Amino acid sequence: MRAAELAVPFPTVRPGTPAIEAARLLAGADLPGLVVVDEDGRPRTILAGTQVLRMAVPQYCQDDPALTRVIDEAAADVFHRGIGDRTVADALPREHRELPVVPGDATVLEVAALMARTRTPLVAVVGDDGRMTGAITLDALLDRVLAQ
Amino acid sequence: MSATAWLAVAIFAVAYVLIATEWTHRVTAALGGAVAMLLIGATDAEHAFFSEESGIDWNVIFLLLGMMLIVAVVQRTGAFEFVAIWASKRARGRPFRVMVILVVVTALASAVLDNVTTVLLIAPVTFLVCERLDVPVVPFLIAEAMASNIGGTATLVGDPPNIIIASRSGLTYNDFLVHLAPIVVLLMVVFVGLCRWLFRDAFRYDPERAAAVMRLREADAIRDKRLLAVGLAVLGLVTAAFVLHTALHLEPSVVAIVGGLVLLVLSRLDAEEVVKDVEWPTLVFFAGLFVMVGALVHTGVIGRLATAAADATEDRLLLASMVLLWASALLSAIVDNIPYVATMSPIVSDLVNNAGGLEQGQVLWWSLALGADLGGNATAVGASANVVILGIAARAGKPISFWQFTKYGLVVAAVTVGISTPYLWLRYFVFAG
Repeated sequence: MRAAELAVPFPTVRPGTPAIEAARLLAGADLPGLVVVDEDGRPRTILAGTQVLRMAVPQYCQDDPALTRVIDEAAADVFHRGIGDRTVADALPREHRELPVVPGDATVLEVAALMARTRTPLVAVVGDDGRMTGAITLDALLDRVLAQ
Repeated sequence: MSATAWLAVAIFAVAYVLIATEWTHRVTAALGGAVAMLLIGATDAEHAFFSEESGIDWNVIFLLLGMMLIVAVVQRTGAFEFVAIWASKRARGRPFRVMVILVVVTALASAVLDNVTTVLLIAPVTFLVCERLDVPVVPFLIAEAMASNIGGTATLVGDPPNIIIASRSGLTYNDFLVHLAPIVVLLMVVFVGLCRWLFRDAFRYDPERAAAVMRLREADAIRDKRLLAVGLAVLGLVTAAFVLHTALHLEPSVVAIVGGLVLLVLSRLDAEEVVKDVEWPTLVFFAGLFVMVGALVHTGVIGRLATAAADATEDRLLLASMVLLWASALLSAIVDNIPYVATMSPIVSDLVNNAGGLEQGQVLWWSLALGADLGGNATAVGASANVVILGIAARAGKPISFWQFTKYGLVVAAVTVGISTPYLWLRYFVFAG
């Protein structure tokens, strides 16, 4: 089984997409993450749902868990407003990471190894021209592997 | 001076420049300097590792390690968050009152814990409170870094330079309390007044915003009451043992390391996790520094400097203490005050001996402590707490530039060192009898 057989069409976002829009896309379609593509449709990186979350949660709450407990319920309920007008680019980690991207002829083991190594529940599949043809989620990968 | 001594001076100067400019990590610079000193024969294993005068000061290392272990457990209790939020609520959300309370809490905590830990603990609470009040957080962060440097001056364990001074001088925890705490209280009162003037644009009061602070539930910061009780009990016992250490015949380093280990066991926390919070690079930095400075002692460089300083200030203790106070403040503003005090301590030790011993010459130690601790406020790189605050602010998207900090720092350092000048003169010369 090859990556191209497992890949399905998958929503993408651009670095300039508002982060709140990306969050709605994640929530609306129950996705583990989104593929970030450049102007030419080439995958740049994967935006995991937790990265959007990290942007919404104030830094002081991430630094000090005790402070998350002192915030009253009404304020806690609207913590997502912390995203403000920031974009997907703001949510991406600054340091360079290995791209969770495989060519269509990659085996399931290659896909699984890449997911394990990059700790990403989503891998983009690209064609010969480098453009994205689809994506494989961890769920889909496990479904296919365990079904055999 | 021998060729080895000159070479040792050159190595020391290069390492110092690297530490001050941060061209390399300070640990690399200090360790590189120490290795070079060992390789050229400016010191040897016997002196570097086992000599009390010219080797690694294990009292300092273990005192720091013990306090870091205690802090690593205490910061998990939520006590600090509780106190800071509870106190802010008492200020009824009035921004200036909140700032006063936060700087006083910072100064008090800094006297018991180290400065860096204190600002690491207070900064997240400050972000929360300022966000609720909708006031700029930067003035609050700058004021807290400065308060930690001022408050830390009051005790033996409050600021790393004081730990070095105590170990080299033989001055006790109570000596620091009796000689430095009174002036620190006065400096804090003046500092609060300065905050009102320096940060006057930051105190915009909004009743609705103030109500948002009042809704914070500080009691929820504490989840594990047993951990809190054990943490505070051990911290209290350790502080009591510091006060009584001469009567108990226990070195402060022994008190701290015993306290740290006891708390680690009693806390029932995963020791491996807690130990990760110990600032090992800082301890290694100290070890490297001590070997470097020890090499200068071993080769006679420090002895020559001390003799020259003693000749220049012969029988003029007042002049020596004033020069030491202001020169220490100036130099600590430019370089981190830890390497500065590590270098100066053996020189001051000789000067104190020349002045007739600890009884007559101890004003020199207080000049060094006040100059180095308070001078650290002058610039953004003068003290570790300042550097840490700048880092926290940048990470939270509220960067503080070097000059933004320094324009306030210069005023605060000049005023506090200025007030320390008549204090030393009056207490140790005019009313010395």
